[in-house]
Amino acid sequence: MAVDAGSGLAGWVERRLPLGAVWRRHFAGYAAPKNFNVWYVFGSLSLVVLVIQLATGLFLAIHYQPNPDLAYWSVLRGIMRDSQWGWLIRYMHIVGASAFFVFVYLHIYRGMLYGSYKRPRELLWLIGVVLYLTLAAEAFLGYLLPWGQMSFWGSTVVMNFATAIPIVGHTIADWLRGSFVVDLPTLNRFFVFHIFLMPMLLLALVLVHIIALHQVGSNNPDGIEIHDNEGVEGWPVDGIPFHPFYTVKDAVAVSAFLLVFSCFVFYEPGGWGLLIDKLNFDPANAIHTPADIHPLWFFLPYYAMLRGVPDKTVGVLTFAFVFVLMAAMPWLDRNPIRSVRYRSLLYRINLLVVPASFFALGYIAHGGATQSNMVFGLHVTEVFYAAFLLLPYFNRPRPGATTWAWLVLFEACIFLIDYWMYETHAHPWSLMLRTDWIPAAYVWLLLLAAALRPTLAEDVETLPSRLTPGGVLH
Amino acid sequence: MHRVDGHFVRLAGALLLAASLLGPAARAEVRNTEPPLQHIEVNRFDRKALRTGALFFMYDCLSCHSVQGARFSELTGQLNLSAKQVQEYLNTTARRVGQTMKSSMPPKIAEQFMHKAPPDLTVIAKRRSVDWLYTYLKSFYLDPSRPTGVNNVVVQNVAMPDVLASLQGLQKPVMRPGWRFGVRQQVAVGVRPETAGSMSPAQFDRTVRDIVLFLDAMAHPHARARATLGPWIVGLFAVLTTLSYLLYRQYWRRVVTADGPRWWTYRGRR
Repeated sequence: MAVDAGSGLAGWVERRLPLGAVWRRHFAGYAAPKNFNVWYVFGSLSLVVLVIQLATGLFLAIHYQPNPDLAYWSVLRGIMRDSQWGWLIRYMHIVGASAFFVFVYLHIYRGMLYGSYKRPRELLWLIGVVLYLTLAAEAFLGYLLPWGQMSFWGSTVVMNFATAIPIVGHTIADWLRGSFVVDLPTLNRFFVFHIFLMPMLLLALVLVHIIALHQVGSNNPDGIEIHDNEGVEGWPVDGIPFHPFYTVKDAVAVSAFLLVFSCFVFYEPGGWGLLIDKLNFDPANAIHTPADIHPLWFFLPYYAMLRGVPDKTVGVLTFAFVFVLMAAMPWLDRNPIRSVRYRSLLYRINLLVVPASFFALGYIAHGGATQSNMVFGLHVTEVFYAAFLLLPYFNRPRPGATTWAWLVLFEACIFLIDYWMYETHAHPWSLMLRTDWIPAAYVWLLLLAAALRPTLAEDVETLPSRLTPGGVLH
Repeated sequence: MHRVDGHFVRLAGALLLAASLLGPAARAEVRNTEPPLQHIEVNRFDRKALRTGALFFMYDCLSCHSVQGARFSELTGQLNLSAKQVQEYLNTTARRVGQTMKSSMPPKIAEQFMHKAPPDLTVIAKRRSVDWLYTYLKSFYLDPSRPTGVNNVVVQNVAMPDVLASLQGLQKPVMRPGWRFGVRQQVAVGVRPETAGSMSPAQFDRTVRDIVLFLDAMAHPHARARATLGPWIVGLFAVLTTLSYLLYRQYWRRVVTADGPRWWTYRGRR
């Protein structure tokens, strides 16, 4: 039972509802490492954006009509003009959606930089992967609602992913749509899932994510467990209470975010065509297919992967495999050192290539569905996967022969993929050869360097015993 | 759309599936010459120009194009007119001031005339751009092969007739070698005047700019509100960022130097 719940009304409540205990456990008494840098603000920023999305979404749902005959004008007239401040609420929701993905991508990469997925945080990481997938589903479902051309055709394309499943694919696609094309039943279920099912899942998963985090404790930019070095009364020597130190730091981040956020909302709500696709200003038209169907920016890398592969089933599997690899991170990278600060140079380069190739894929998909972009997309996809799958190579120091074996294996895989690509005759030789060398050259350079200069693949010998100061905003 | 019969839905579904299957493979590089757009600046606070634009829009555009996103009553605020003035001078339809700006031309009839229903213009300035609209409206040229007798540099084989011809006069195309759907051929990249219209070129240019300004105002009905409110909100968060940063520094001074005894309590540690 609560021992020192106190007297008076606060004590009376505390004995029945342990609000104070929760506050102490998760805020004032939660020991956070004292060396968090700027990468550590994106978790709480995502939470702030989630709240913005829930609050604005509530008001949008009140004025929105989930019916193909009414949806388009209920947004452009009902919300944008007929309701007071409707435009502000809608622009906040639109900019918020993109901000959500910016923060989540940075949050994920923070985890990769400092090895936050490693023991004992595997489950925390897995919950995060599920959260990311739920967020992706939420964004996709919401994108149909304005019932513009891109809403309609984007959903049509994604619903057709189901047809990549052999034999029963078309039946499943019809079942998902509730119709043979994207139509009233599809819009209705997307609306319900977008405003009810997915937000509920998101909230529940966020709670589980935080509970799991506070069970194992926060990682930090040094990747050293602060609880391994506890002082008097079991308080970690390098730990500081989350409140007030990190609440005040997150307050700076939230204010700075709201500053940028309001700049977008008031001055560039369309984000130069990146946040609102220009084609989505045309109402949905089932008998007029746009020349180029593409998702919003946060899904573009996956789209480049899909388009790079000249076979639908393989294409869908190619981008779906990214999520499998993400979930497998704790078991791919088994090096005992968590933080990139103490990893080898080649590992650092490789870890930089993962987001760089992901960003490049997005840029390629943004360039439109030209044949050269498709081929380029395929080859950058190979680089992305090579970088991801090379993570286990750096698990321990490898002898020269092992390095050569890795090199041969990877080059053989790249050769097989390209051989299959030539076999399909989807693209001319000349075009293929232009970017064919990129994945092969990347693997060659990285592993050749490791074979010839093994010191480049060596991590530091000993980790510091205490956290080191440093980092932005610190 | 959800009330059409089953056969059509199945056929459309099959076509959509085929399109999504074959689409990426069929969409190879098709070269098309994109004529350059002429850049203009619009002044959203120029109410006189906006009124002129509205007047031309109501008499020349609203006959076929609707602006269903807006109501006539919105013009009272945008143009600083009374509802009575809007009805008397601007509303060329039989609709009331509280109703949406819907064209009197039924879309079905328009489709019979031009084989395409005229698009709604509520957000056309966002869908295209003010540069696009300006260039488009000035770039009609004589083309005897077209049913309307005119074609457009920006939209090849445009369905819309040259509505402003009486003001601008007729124009001939400036042809250059270029690409059309991957085929090398002569392509119109600009226009030159053929006959004079009722307006001088400078007057006509002013008029087109005013119409584009009006379309821009229709697409951004809250541009003024954003411009007035924006600096305050942005300023508020700038102040908040500064203050919270100072507070952060104040708190963290203790952490950076504190390697000795802690000053905080940790009653609640699990």
